[in-house]
Order: sequence, then structure tokens, then C-alpha cells
Amino acid sequence: MPSLLEACAITKRFPGVTALREVSFDLRPGEIHALCGENGAGKSTLIKLLSGLHPHGSYEGELRLADRVAHFRSVADAQREGIAVIYQELALVPGLSIAENIFLGCEPRRGLLIDWEKLYTDARLFLTRVGLEVSPETPVAQLGIGQQQLVEIAKALSKQTRILILDEPTAALAEREVATLLDLLRGLRAQGIASIYISHKLDEVFALADRITVLRDGATISTHDRAATSKARVIRDMVGREISELFPRTVSPPGAVVLRADRLNVAPSAHAPTRLHDISFEVRAGEILGIGGLMGAGRTELLMHIFGAWGARISGAVEISGHALSGNDPVTALRHGLALVSEDRKRYGLVLDRDIGFNLSLSSITHLCRGVLVDEETEVRTNQNFFSSLRVKASSLETVVGTLSGGNQQKVVIGKALMTGPTVIFLDEPTRGIDVGAKLEVYELMNRLTAEGKAVVLVSSELPELMGMSDRILMLHEGRVGGEFTRAEATPEKLLAAAM
Amino acid sequence: MKTRLSPRDFSLFLSLVAVWAFFAVASPQYLSARNLSALSVELAITATLALGMLLVILPGHIDLSVGSGVGLVGGIAAVLVFNHGWPAPLAFIPAVAVALLLWLGQGALIVRQRIPAFIITLGGLLVFKGVFWLVINTHTVPVAPGGRPNMFSLLTTYYLPPFASYTVIALVLVGLVIVTLRARRRRFSMGFETDDAELTFLKLFLTGQALLLFVLAVNQFRGIPLPVLILGVVALLIQMITRHTPFGRHLYAIGGNEEAAFISGVPVQRVVIGAYVLLGGIVAITGLLQTAYSGASTTTVGDSMELDAIAACVIGGTSLRGGRGSVLGVIFGALIMASLLNGMTLLAVSPELKFIARGAVLTLAVWMDVKLAKR
Repeated sequence: MPSLLEACAITKRFPGVTALREVSFDLRPGEIHALCGENGAGKSTLIKLLSGLHPHGSYEGELRLADRVAHFRSVADAQREGIAVIYQELALVPGLSIAENIFLGCEPRRGLLIDWEKLYTDARLFLTRVGLEVSPETPVAQLGIGQQQLVEIAKALSKQTRILILDEPTAALAEREVATLLDLLRGLRAQGIASIYISHKLDEVFALADRITVLRDGATISTHDRAATSKARVIRDMVGREISELFPRTVSPPGAVVLRADRLNVAPSAHAPTRLHDISFEVRAGEILGIGGLMGAGRTELLMHIFGAWGARISGAVEISGHALSGNDPVTALRHGLALVSEDRKRYGLVLDRDIGFNLSLSSITHLCRGVLVDEETEVRTNQNFFSSLRVKASSLETVVGTLSGGNQQKVVIGKALMTGPTVIFLDEPTRGIDVGAKLEVYELMNRLTAEGKAVVLVSSELPELMGMSDRILMLHEGRVGGEFTRAEATPEKLLAAAM
Repeated sequence: MKTRLSPRDFSLFLSLVAVWAFFAVASPQYLSARNLSALSVELAITATLALGMLLVILPGHIDLSVGSGVGLVGGIAAVLVFNHGWPAPLAFIPAVAVALLLWLGQGALIVRQRIPAFIITLGGLLVFKGVFWLVINTHTVPVAPGGRPNMFSLLTTYYLPPFASYTVIALVLVGLVIVTLRARRRRFSMGFETDDAELTFLKLFLTGQALLLFVLAVNQFRGIPLPVLILGVVALLIQMITRHTPFGRHLYAIGGNEEAAFISGVPVQRVVIGAYVLLGGIVAITGLLQTAYSGASTTTVGDSMELDAIAACVIGGTSLRGGRGSVLGVIFGALIMASLLNGMTLLAVSPELKFIARGAVLTLAVWMDVKLAKR
């Protein structure tokens, strides 16, 4: 069958990094083709090429439409050929109505004025096609994310789209909305509209796609018919190795107690109602203590308070290696050997427009001095150690952190915490938003740390991760301890019961 | 660092050339040795203050009160010298101490009470001006009683003799070459990208040319003015502080992402207060220089200098959101501002037009800053 759109042996280089290496990919008429791969595998670069964002001439190899070579100089060129991309972050104007958004920039006109009647009747037509039964006069701000996505698709259809590219479309959708979207894409396929579907969620990929292509490290690894492959096979292609054990915890014998919290009562501020009630726990050297709970159970607040970055203590005490921590100063916490990797790395973890070196050494810079001046040779040597031992993928220490993928940014945040030489490390959702391979590296790192005798406190919303990596689990429920379990005792049912 | 010249750097350079060309044509005296010497004094004063301003803009704050502070510091010293007969060096001590204390207070208010720096220092602008006028009783107080030169007046009337000037410039140049080559070798051994040898040579060569041209010009008059040496010391100090101390790293980190800096163990409050105290010290130096340059403390000394300082920072590539800016850029920005103001004074441009021109340049610079931040 001839291809509708084909990428032949495409290589795309950025300064210092080759993002795509001889990648080949083809889309047949009327198929849904899933594109899988870890973060940083090259999926988004490929999409940017297909949609004209990286213009012809900025890459090697050929992009072919059905019968000829495509020379997209811009996104507009690709749009004229019927290629539309629906990005994860939707590009709608919240204050405008659905219809205005659909025709934004190409409003039907009568003379100089907008033909409002045609605008709204046409919009209604496209809304029916995507199965959204809402008045086209509704402001977009009143719609849910799922509905907004349908508007985006309607907008694409209004531009005679033949090829729809969807980048992680279900990341923010509820289950029912996901089902609606998948049905819609199947319906569009029946009408002859082909889709490229990018998703981390293999369940969806297997429910929807006709073929699956896996990218890894900028190269095409495999293209399979869905019927002829399995999830295990796709995961193996993505990661490049068998994940025999997804959570490779190697328990080491725990040592002495290094962190002790004793009946902590904490309020957000001095005169606010108490948020954390009577929380007590201990962590031993070489041990991973997992802390779980539902959203709002107070997990992050607990870590942030002990670290000294949140709340006012009403009563209780915290002791780390024998020193009392008052809970109102990160500088003291760091000095006594406590480090924290926050759940929100962009907000609390990184100075995004600075380079890797600046961020890595930020917490330790006062110890990298000779006299009052920074000893740059020692600093660079130390940075280089963490840069290579954490396997940060970047061309050098001078790469700006904001340009890294999520997994690599997380490695920088963790490296910064480790450089302070902590005895206790708080990891708050350390694997959120990073890909399978990077997750595994984080788990292995946790093993290494505990083997060295450091204590780890892991906060996670994912029960499998919590149960897979923790030696003991503390469940929080509305700011109180709901239960404590050993690794052997913990079952999902027991943990959830303690959280609710 | 590997040099990356942006279109912005070029446009800065071109605008400086344009300013000089315009005034050179409009007034033949603009490029005379006497005026270049005066220009270098004015540059030194503007740049010194702007370098202090850089310290508080880097962590994302601002200071509108420095102009009034300049007047006040000079006023205190002048009153002590002229009305009370204190020796000039002794009079400097309370003047400087007052500035340090006032800026410590402002910094503490901003940080501990979490009041925006804009408001606190706008208050400071008015309060300090009022106190200043009270101190000099809205009179004109000369810096040197009876016109006899003292240490105060010498601040802007002392010139390094020509021979000493050549020696100083030669030493500076040798120092620059050594530092550049050592830094280059170190970067190379650490495996970072470096400029190639020719570019390094070219940069040093051009810098040397500029320094030589400068010393030739000022030696035509009386030699290097003292304020230029003071600027040199201040610039070196600020460069070391911002680039080579933990405190400097912390300034950039706070401006880049204050919350992340806090969680990373940066003592945010202490660092910001420290930046304001340093700025206070620089306001004191600038106050003494500017008052000496005027010959007397009068109610207008220091007027709108805060705006020139902010403009110099922004023109020189400092981001008003914080986290971005360099000593060299600020000095360059100050050079453009000083060249503009000096030229207008020489052409006897009316004060009305001067205000308009200053405002236009400030607006243009901030507009460029915003445009750049979007990219």
C-alpha cells in the first residue's frame, strides 16, 4: 500500500546532540499509527519535522507525501497539505467562543466584516462531527479539558485535515473522556482521516492503533502490526532491555535511627488551624521509608516542614542524628545532613535558565570555596562527577537546564541534593513525569544510597512504586498517621484502607 | 566563557558609535581631551552607582531611593566640612555610616516585612530627599571652605600624572592578559569550549587599543581622573563578588527562581539584605563623588540618578526580572547614558528636552528588555 506520509532516513542534529538518527516512519491512508518511546527518544522532534516546525533543509533525509518529496518551509505549508497537530498543551483562547476559536484567523467574511451567521452554522457542523453537543457560542473557558480537545480537533477538521497528529492527548483526561476521544479517532479513521497517536499509555495504544512504531535514542527500533506484537515486546523495545523487575529494591540491613519525628503538630502558619496531627515516625540508616496517602493527606507538607520550608510547628520535635531541627530553616536542615528533592522540580528544584553546573552546585557552593572565593576547579570536578555518575544526557555541564528532558532535569535536582552529602534524603514523587528508563535509574540510585548507609524517605502517589521500593510504609490520612506497614505486610487493600 | 555576540551586542555598540558620531558632528568640543576627561568622570560616577543597582536587580528587586541617597550622603559630608570645620576624611565616616544603616533598614523592611522594594524605596526617595534638604537647610554648601582644595574636592579634581597613568594602564593590560590566558587554559583543561586563539588575541588587542586610546586622550588633558580609578576598583570588586563568590551565585539563583533557591539552602533574606547594604556603600561613594563634582551640595544633587542607574543596567543587558546581568554590560550601558547626558549638556540642550531624552532612552531600554525576555 502506498504511504500517505513517509519519513525516509531522517537525521536531525542540534548543537551537541543528534536528536534523530536515520529515522524512518510511514503512515498509510486510513490507519492509526502509534508512536511510542521514552521521553527524549525523539518523538517530539519527529512531529515537529512532520508538521513543518523544523523546516525543510534543517535535517538530512527526505519527507515524502504520497507521490512527491515534501518541502515544508513552515507550519502553514504542512497545514496546506492537510497535516494538523494537537499538542498536549491546548492552544485555544479561553475568552472566545467555541466557534470563534475554530475559525480563529480564517473567519468567514462578508466584505470586510465577519459573517457571524456562517461562522456559527459551520462551527455547529464541525462540532457534530466530533460529537460535541454544546452550543458553538459557549466560551471555551467554560469547557472541560476533554471538551477543549474536541474543539481543537474540530478546528483541525475545519482546515481540511487529512492527517491528524496527537501528542499525548489523554495525559490530562478523565477515563470517560478518553473513551470518547478513542471512539472519535476510530470514527475519523472510517472517514479516511489517518492519525499519528503518541502516548505513554500502552493500554490506549493497544486499544486503538493499527501499527506501532517504537523510537529509542533517536532511532527507529521497530514497527509492528498491533495484532502481531505484545505490550511486553513494545516495552522491551522502548527500554532496550527486559524489565524483569520493575522495582529492583535490594533490602539492606537497617542501621541506627537517623531521623526521628515525635508527635508533630504543624499548622500552615502561626494562627491557622492545625494541618498535621501527632505524627511520629523513625527512619534508620540504610532504610527506605515510604509515605503514602491520598491527595491532600499532608505528605508533601510533612516533608517540607521537617526540611524547614513549610508551616509553623505547634508542638512536637524532630531529631536528625541527634540534632534537633526546628523546622523553619532549610539552611540548618541541609547543614545537619537532610536533603530534599521536591515534587515540583520546575518550581522548587531548578533555576531553569542557568546551566547544569550552576544548578548542581547551588546547594553546596559555600563548601566549594577557597577563602571567600569559589574554587572553580574543585567545583567543576565535583559537578563532573555527579554529571557522569547520574548519567545526565546533555552535551556538557554548560547546557541550560530548561532545555533538558524531565528525566534529566530530575537527575540534576537529585544530584544537587546528593552533593550536600546528606545522611537522610527526602524524595517527594521522584519519578513523576519521567520515563521508564529514567525511573529505573532513580530506583537503582535509591538502592545505592541505602547500601551506602543513607536513609531515604520516599513519598509517592503510585502504590506499586511505594510497595515496590519501600522497606516500611507510613500511610497518612488527613494529616494523621493512618497506619504503618512492613514491606511484607503491605497489600494495596491494606494501604488504601489506611489512607481512607 | 565562549563568546557569543548577539545582535543585541552589536546594536549596543552601534548605538554608542551613533551617539558619539552625532555629538562629534554637532559640537567640535565633544571629542576634545578636556571633554573626554569630563566624560570619563561622569561615566565613572554613573557606572559606579549602576553597579550597585545591579546587585539588587540581580535578585529581582529595585531601588528608587539611590538618587536621594546620593544627595543626602554628599550633604552630610559637606555640612560637616563647611559648617562644622571637620577635616574631609573624618566627615566621610558618618556620611558613609548613615548610608550603610539606611540601606540595611530598607533591605530588612523589604525582606522581613515582604513589602515590594518598589514601594519601600519610593518612600526612601521622598524621605531621604526631605532629610537631605533639612541637613543642608536648602542652602548651597561648598565641599571646600574658601575654595582651598581638600580631600573632598580632590575626589573629582585629582588626576594621576601622565607617567603614572601609562604605568597603571600598562599594569591593567598585563593583568588582563594573564587573567584571560589563565582562564582560557583552565577552561580548556576542564574540557569546556573556548574561543579560538585568534579571537582571544583579537579581544585582548581591541581592549588594549581602547585602553591606550583612553589614556592617550586623558593624558592630553591632565591624566587619569581619580573617579575612573575608583570605578576600576569598584568594578573589579563587584565582578569578583558576582562571579566568584557564593554570595554572587546566590544573587543569580534568587533572581532566576527564588523558591528553588530557598529550597536549595540559599539564605534568601540574608543575601538580599546583604545586596542592599553593599548598594548603600556604593551610594555613599557615589554621593561623595557626585557632590564633589558639583563643587557643592545643593538641592538638585542626585536628582533622577536612580533612573540613569536603572537605565544603564537595562541597556547593559540586565533583566529587571532578575537573574541576568553582568558588570561589563552595566559599564557599557553607563557609557551610553553618560555619553548622551554629557553631549546634551555640551550642546546646552534645555532641561525640558533632557528629561524627554532620558525618559525615551529608559523606555526604549526596558522595551528591549521585555522583547528579549519573551524569546
